[in-house]
Amino acid sequence: MRLGTAGPRGRMPAPHATTERAAISLRGVGKDFRGAAGETVALDSVDLDIDAGDFVCLLGQSGCGKSTLLNLIAGLDSPSRGSIDVGGRRVGMMFQDANLFPWLTVRGNIELALRLSGVPAREFGPRVDELLETVRLPRAASMRPHELSGGMRQRVALARTLAQDCSILLMDEPFAALDAITRDAMHDETERIWLERELTIVFVTHNVRESARLGNRVLVMTPDPGRIDSELRIGLQRPRRMEDPGVADRAADLHRRLSGRNEP
Amino acid sequence: MSDIDAGRLVGKAAAPTRRIRFTGPEGRPAASLGSRIVRRSWPPLLAVIITLLLWEVVYLSGWRPSYVLPDPATVLQRTGEMVASGKFWQALGTTMFRAAAGFGLALGIGTLIGLVVSFSRTLRAAIGSMITGLQTMPSIAWFPFAILLFGLSESAILFVVILGAAPSIANGIISGIDDVPKALIRTATVLGARGLSLYRYVVVPAALPAYLSGLKQGWAFAWRSLMAGELLVIIASKPSLGVQLQFHREFADTAGLMSVMIIILVLGMLIDGVLSRVSNGVRARRGMGPVS
Repeated sequence: MRLGTAGPRGRMPAPHATTERAAISLRGVGKDFRGAAGETVALDSVDLDIDAGDFVCLLGQSGCGKSTLLNLIAGLDSPSRGSIDVGGRRVGMMFQDANLFPWLTVRGNIELALRLSGVPAREFGPRVDELLETVRLPRAASMRPHELSGGMRQRVALARTLAQDCSILLMDEPFAALDAITRDAMHDETERIWLERELTIVFVTHNVRESARLGNRVLVMTPDPGRIDSELRIGLQRPRRMEDPGVADRAADLHRRLSGRNEP
Repeated sequence: MSDIDAGRLVGKAAAPTRRIRFTGPEGRPAASLGSRIVRRSWPPLLAVIITLLLWEVVYLSGWRPSYVLPDPATVLQRTGEMVASGKFWQALGTTMFRAAAGFGLALGIGTLIGLVVSFSRTLRAAIGSMITGLQTMPSIAWFPFAILLFGLSESAILFVVILGAAPSIANGIISGIDDVPKALIRTATVLGARGLSLYRYVVVPAALPAYLSGLKQGWAFAWRSLMAGELLVIIASKPSLGVQLQFHREFADTAGLMSVMIIILVLGMLIDGVLSRVSNGVRARRGMGPVS
């Protein structure tokens, strides 16, 4: 199925009906990159519907196109083929690095996000306090990014992303650089904030267990060309923990799916 | 649900905050002002003393007669006398006014050119390398041309001071903007920054440290160009530091000449010191400063 190339996010509705509750809808999405080795197909014919309020993990090795897919949904890049529709929803994104602006304090970083979202300046104070409360860093407002630990930086990045009042949150391996203890805490926070704010989360990871710990659905991606290979519905109760037997069980399943393809 | 492990998480979030507080700069026991001044100033002081000692040794060796190379004590005494005279302050006033006007104009022109060039790919291709070329051109080579254009006038001096300083300032801002991490741009884009707001809130602040480095280099070039200009473009009615250098040379007054040189050196260092302080402050706030 070949569809028209999508314009900038939200301006062009999907050319055909999507399910009523889909927050994100991809039809025949493909992406090519031109490099020294000629044209490479980073993504090929991805069809995907993600319900509003769902928590979806994209799992795969590096080079399978999962970050490319996320960038396309974020509007950072436009697809070579197909269409993407987020129904005019606000999209926030977090990266592996917190990317805090080093010349601003924690408060300044969050205020900038509020300003860019059109929030009037007189509301900044209480909004920043509330957001820092949400990510449980109530006393960090006046600190500088370089004074924070890796986990604290990601908390601030999360607060800054939430400042946009986004309903879709895209996370590109946001906890991959954190130690296991901090990462577990951030998983709990992500799960809690997802529920409290009724977010739709798309979470990219190469960590099998992390995807089983967090996702409602895990989409297994494979490279050359990047595509969604299979899907696993986790179906475990929340809150979950990394070491739950159910999570281990789902992770084993996902491992099999990932390695099955690579074995001769 | 929202209460899952709330206590544990609060504990975790709060603990690093406290830890940072203790090790942060504000937590360090404050040294008294006196001991801080002593700690900071002894290395340069030692260097000055060693220089004076070497000078004294050369003087005592009799390598040059004392009316050609006087000893440090004589020169320092002359410097003291000079600083006490009204004529010196008049000369200093002229020179510093020229420095301020030249550097100020270079600041405006360099910043503008830098911003415009970094914004436009075509302009970059057209004059990007020319700016670097101008930066390497010895400013004294401009003077014959400047004198033909403007005559022996203030304008000729200003012209060359600006040509000396503006390229460094423009290059500072261009390289600063070039080196803004792409990750920050992407993050800002996702946060909704576009076009002008992206420049205003992210690109320009991110480029500030490189811009300040360019400013420091620009000042050094401006000061050098100005001294060259004051030696070459002598305006009879205007006493300046450059004119004083020339005057002392003509009268073979080495002590006076060296006094003026010391003043020129100290002034250049003072202004550079101010710019360095600003630059280091900006860098330290971003965690870029040297580990002290």
